[in-house]
Amino acid sequence: MTKKRTGVFVCHCGNNIAATVDVKKVAEAMSNEENVVASEDYVYMCSDPGQNAVLQSIKDNKLDSVVISCCSPNLHEKTFRDNAKRAGLNSFTCEIANIREQCAWVHKDKAVATEKAIKISRSAVRRAGRDQALEPIAVPVTRKVLVIGGGIAGIQAALDIANAGLKVILVEKLATIGGHMLQLSETFPTLDCSQCILSPKMVDVSRHENIELMTYSEVQEVNGSVGNFQVKIKQKPSYVDPELCKICDDCAAVCPVVVPNEHDLGLTARRAIHIPFAQAIPASYTLDENACLGLNPVRCGKCKDACDVGAINYDMLPKTVTEEVGAIVVATGYDLYAQEHMNELGGGQIDDVLDGLQFERLCSASGATKGHVLRPSDRTVPKDVVFIQCVGSRDPANHCAYCSKICCMYTAKHASLYKHHVPDGRAYVFYIDIRSGGKGYEEFVQRIMEEDEAIYLRGRVSKLYRKDGKVRVLGTDTLTGQNVEIDADMVVLALAMEPSKGTADIAKTLKIGRDKDGFLAEAHPKLKPVESVTAGIFLAGCAQGPKDIPETVSQASAAAAKVIGLLSQPTLSHAPTVAKVRNSHCTGCEMCVTACPYNAISLENGKALVNEVLCEGCGSCSATCVRSAIEVKNTTGLQIQEMIEACLA
Amino acid sequence: MYFNDLKPLHGRVFVNETWCKGCGFCVQFCPTNVLDTSPEFNAKGYHPPIAKNPENCRDCNYCQLICPEFAIYVERDDGNEKGKV
Repeated sequence: MTKKRTGVFVCHCGNNIAATVDVKKVAEAMSNEENVVASEDYVYMCSDPGQNAVLQSIKDNKLDSVVISCCSPNLHEKTFRDNAKRAGLNSFTCEIANIREQCAWVHKDKAVATEKAIKISRSAVRRAGRDQALEPIAVPVTRKVLVIGGGIAGIQAALDIANAGLKVILVEKLATIGGHMLQLSETFPTLDCSQCILSPKMVDVSRHENIELMTYSEVQEVNGSVGNFQVKIKQKPSYVDPELCKICDDCAAVCPVVVPNEHDLGLTARRAIHIPFAQAIPASYTLDENACLGLNPVRCGKCKDACDVGAINYDMLPKTVTEEVGAIVVATGYDLYAQEHMNELGGGQIDDVLDGLQFERLCSASGATKGHVLRPSDRTVPKDVVFIQCVGSRDPANHCAYCSKICCMYTAKHASLYKHHVPDGRAYVFYIDIRSGGKGYEEFVQRIMEEDEAIYLRGRVSKLYRKDGKVRVLGTDTLTGQNVEIDADMVVLALAMEPSKGTADIAKTLKIGRDKDGFLAEAHPKLKPVESVTAGIFLAGCAQGPKDIPETVSQASAAAAKVIGLLSQPTLSHAPTVAKVRNSHCTGCEMCVTACPYNAISLENGKALVNEVLCEGCGSCSATCVRSAIEVKNTTGLQIQEMIEACLA
Repeated sequence: MYFNDLKPLHGRVFVNETWCKGCGFCVQFCPTNVLDTSPEFNAKGYHPPIAKNPENCRDCNYCQLICPEFAIYVERDDGNEKGKV
């Protein structure tokens, strides 16, 4: 251990640490350590007086290194390093000893926890003993942004970023942007038409000079790091040239194939060559290669013959483009939990049992029935409609444990829309609780109950089955304690929201985490709700968790603000705690090259060479190197050894 | 079945069994698997094709195009009962 002047500052964190760890004792024990010339404790070290105390002590005691025993470095390492820098220290000589998450919060016995906190702090002192002064590495920034997902979240984020003057690539998996919001009829609580508020934004996206729209495309590969990502995007062939397509429908008129239309969730059919809906962006037909008889002018070829402008090209190939971007916004959205999982509610096998989105398509003026609420089985107007909430949600034993958040509101809206379409009909709503937190939400639900006279029954439905052309609903009203049987003409299930199908893959591609329910994980639930755990990748919309449209738009704008803030800096600073090669020891065995998850190491003249901009300092290389020829700065083998010794002492 | 009453196009396959030489192209390449090889023999001793799933025919005419013997053809089925399959 080298001769240093180290100061140790132990935080109480209110009672978070002090309740389990004898903070005074830790501070006292530290004052007896070698190299330690000052040791203090304070109730909130991260507060202004706390930081000032550290600042003052650095000056008074002429400290050259600092250890803060407090919470996780994820939370306040930057705070304390910035503070040390203000006092004239090199910020990388400030170390954090995590005695909250890794000690106080996981122990009950105060004596044992105190002993452990002393060991953790002591090992940090040892580490600080060999810390070098390092300067951040300046990294150039690519002023271009990738937005993944063309729903309302992706559209809003793309527009906000593009309006700030940055270039945006908007990638959408389907043939049109718009997402699930475009399938909705009206939106709660103000009942404005979904298409009327979304379509202009879609047009803005297509006409914006800073937005490059890539529909029918998927992100395949992402490399690099914040400020400089390299992304590979694959665009599937649509077999129709959007520049030439006149949307005349001549091709679809002759196409012999009929498949369910995804946009109407199977309530209508479409041809193999189709436009998802009339106002699709980009305004062009798409040939569904899975439904087409053969993409071949001699095999069928009817659409190509019918197209006067020659827009159809069966030889179109998938296109892969590689782009450089500085930041990424992930807005991949949600899917509804499949009806097939709900065996007691028919498992998707009963006609006239619809999910929420299908009912939206029945109510929508541009939908399956042009806005008339009709039963799919016989196209009559349903007189008794049962709406069931919490289908698949709040059921940890069988389905999803979480609350899908929007179902209370949209079910109330459904009941209201139904009563407006069919004034003499009866709308029954089975609910567990009504959760209507939001501006104007509670008033909306009350209005549906009182003015629209929807019948709210508190209880769950146990079974649905077909009986005499109707759907028999067996449920309970827990407020009266009686069983309820309703012969319904139609049943609408408010199914849980789950992350969209490709979420797991995109999380893997982007190397970002997911939470226990599969939604994308934010970096901090309160303080970093739009950042992913990977720097430069931001989250927006339902990919991060169930939320309604206002919240989605807010989060998308927040993500956009973060991106604009990040990319408005002239250069980004990259942590200098990167791998360093000792050329005298390196034999060029390439083991570190294969171990590096960031492709940051290459072989130059028979020796490993680290690209410091790409290196994240994870230490995989140093763990594999058998000759200790590669080490991460300020986490060297010697430091690790001394830290272990300090813990075992 | 669907609210917009979209119906698939139907074709009707006609086989001239006497001309067929049993190459099996039509059976192999039909995109909707309409055809199968008949267990019966024709006059030349070949197995001609038979429409095993006639309702799947989408009038794409591919069988007609690839038949080397001009032994199979398709007509648009507009619902009239004419000819035999």
